[in-house]
Amino acid sequence: MASMEKECAGLIDKSKAVVRESFGKFKLDDLAITWTGGKDSTLALWIIRQVCQEDKIKVPKVMTIDEFDTFDEIHDFMDRYATEWKLDLTWMRNNDVIKAAGGKLNNIVKVKDLNERNQAELKRIDYKEDTFPFEAESYTGNHLMKTVMFNMYIEQYGVKAIFQGLRRDEQNARAEDDYFEKKEAAHLIPEHVRIKPILHFTERDLWNTYQVFKIPYCILYEKGYRSLGAKTTSAIAAPGVPAWEQDLEHTTERAGRRQDKEKMMKRLRGLGYM
Amino acid sequence: MFGLYGNNRGLTPFVDSLKDRSMVFTRSQSAGPYTQASFPAILCSGYYLDYGKPEGLAPQRPIISEVLQKAGIYTAGFHSNPYCSSVLGWDRGWDVFYDSLDDDLEDERLSYVRGHTINAKVVQWLSSYVKKKDRAPFFLWIHYMDVHEPYMPERSYIDMVDPGIKISQDEMYTLFEDTLLKRDVSDPARVALLKRLYDVHVREVDSYVQSLFKSLADLDILDSSTVIITSDHGDEFNEHGGLSHDDKLYSELIDVPLLIYGAGSNGVCSKLVSSLDIPPTILHLFGLEPAASFQGRSLLPVGAYVEKGAFGEAIDNKSVKGGDINKDVYFCREGDLKLIYRADPDRWELYDLKDDPGELHDIAQSSKETGRLQSRLKPRIKRWIK
Repeated sequence: MASMEKECAGLIDKSKAVVRESFGKFKLDDLAITWTGGKDSTLALWIIRQVCQEDKIKVPKVMTIDEFDTFDEIHDFMDRYATEWKLDLTWMRNNDVIKAAGGKLNNIVKVKDLNERNQAELKRIDYKEDTFPFEAESYTGNHLMKTVMFNMYIEQYGVKAIFQGLRRDEQNARAEDDYFEKKEAAHLIPEHVRIKPILHFTERDLWNTYQVFKIPYCILYEKGYRSLGAKTTSAIAAPGVPAWEQDLEHTTERAGRRQDKEKMMKRLRGLGYM
Repeated sequence: MFGLYGNNRGLTPFVDSLKDRSMVFTRSQSAGPYTQASFPAILCSGYYLDYGKPEGLAPQRPIISEVLQKAGIYTAGFHSNPYCSSVLGWDRGWDVFYDSLDDDLEDERLSYVRGHTINAKVVQWLSSYVKKKDRAPFFLWIHYMDVHEPYMPERSYIDMVDPGIKISQDEMYTLFEDTLLKRDVSDPARVALLKRLYDVHVREVDSYVQSLFKSLADLDILDSSTVIITSDHGDEFNEHGGLSHDDKLYSELIDVPLLIYGAGSNGVCSKLVSSLDIPPTILHLFGLEPAASFQGRSLLPVGAYVEKGAFGEAIDNKSVKGGDINKDVYFCREGDLKLIYRADPDRWELYDLKDDPGELHDIAQSSKETGRLQSRLKPRIKRWIK
């Protein structure tokens, strides 16, 4: 146990060094933190907050994206710690898309019902159809609900650099992927730097760290979820088995898509007596 | 099907071996001939049509999981029956609930995951749960779907009980589509083959139960556990002119096995009992007070159980004149007498199971008991329409 504690402390020190380097490179007002309520961004936020407490500086502003199709448990968790940790938290939500979808998931959205910005965004990703289904994590949904909101936040708040909770092992990114990634300005994308202080953590390291430092997490991880995204795209990996007790080394982290009602109806019919 | 009930095909060697440490009920009645009609009894101690005909579980109907969870019991349910799934409201009150909806199936033709997958999920959870310090007592519900059409057992189980079956799984599926799905009983050889495949599935589930018991033993919790084994309904193989399980209420669909292992009360009980009695029995085993919404009574201690007859009901979707209807069927059993009412065509049947276990000789017109049993059943007919 003692060696695990030491190991986790070492990983955190490495992250803290990245955070401190960021505070040296950027003004506090030019920095922001992304937070989803998931295990990765919560760890990153917790570490940044530690540095701020140690160095007696204010925690940078925090942004989160409400992709509409969300778990209540995540909202509750974020509300609680936004208050407890006194965060300056901004919720970003693409209300134009939600309105065009009539406020209901899976409804068909007509592209012409969207505002100019969202239409331009669809053009940017080369989407040529007249309609798309409103799903948070489809190609179009993901772009409009998340990527666009992220870029708009950076633009509106004049952010120069933003902390993200990405991990190298999760994203299968290049091994040399850097803690600081500069994004050049492009059409509809403002120039900014992405800072990834927990890049070196593996999923196992992460849960060990949560355990050793008693870092709070969303209750869904206790129920068997291993990865949290939109509600309809996050499935329980092992029912009733906390994420950290699962076989992290031999199974994949990204959960499969939850089955839709149509698939279930097909199974009901398959049972022969519908 | 069980050896302990006199079947000599050797389909349930493991469950039979539990006999000495179990209370075996020889006359247990399901409250309905298919999942939607029977599970309200097994898990809610109520009848299918108590709340009319809602799609899925009526929101006001409490499930045993909710009652137990409120009492501080940890509740876990693992199954693969779409009719008991979260989409139809059955996920209430479970701390852990697995209904396989989010999983891809080994074979989509099956519509469910096989029992070994259910067991793997259960063991994964249990291994984690038993390690918890100060863990609450738990209630675990497992439902294996394997003894269910399309009857496509795996070769390993066929070889255990009926190696003479040589057809492939694709051929089994064709048999299901051409014969069972069409309820075509014209060829006795095909009906017999379907029954043999069904029997193989019974053997398969026996081995799943065995493997579950082994896991409980490995985790060192078998000796402190009580296990109730039952079924939601049977299947017909032309006993009354049909196949599978539709809306009939004869014994091949309604007589179900029921045994309680490890409760310290062993023997054979021939009282007429119902699936409805299972939830109150569970409360009794946890030392909890009876729940007001439960209509059954605890099976234990068996000496205190007073027979009050058994009831059941279903919806008949096929008119005798052809076309779709939505009429109800009901039964009431008292001792060896069973009265059945079909709203279409408004008809009563009475059978004396002692002389006529196959329910082939309707004595409703001649028996002196018909009127009395009708008076018991009539208040139940369309009772939700006031």
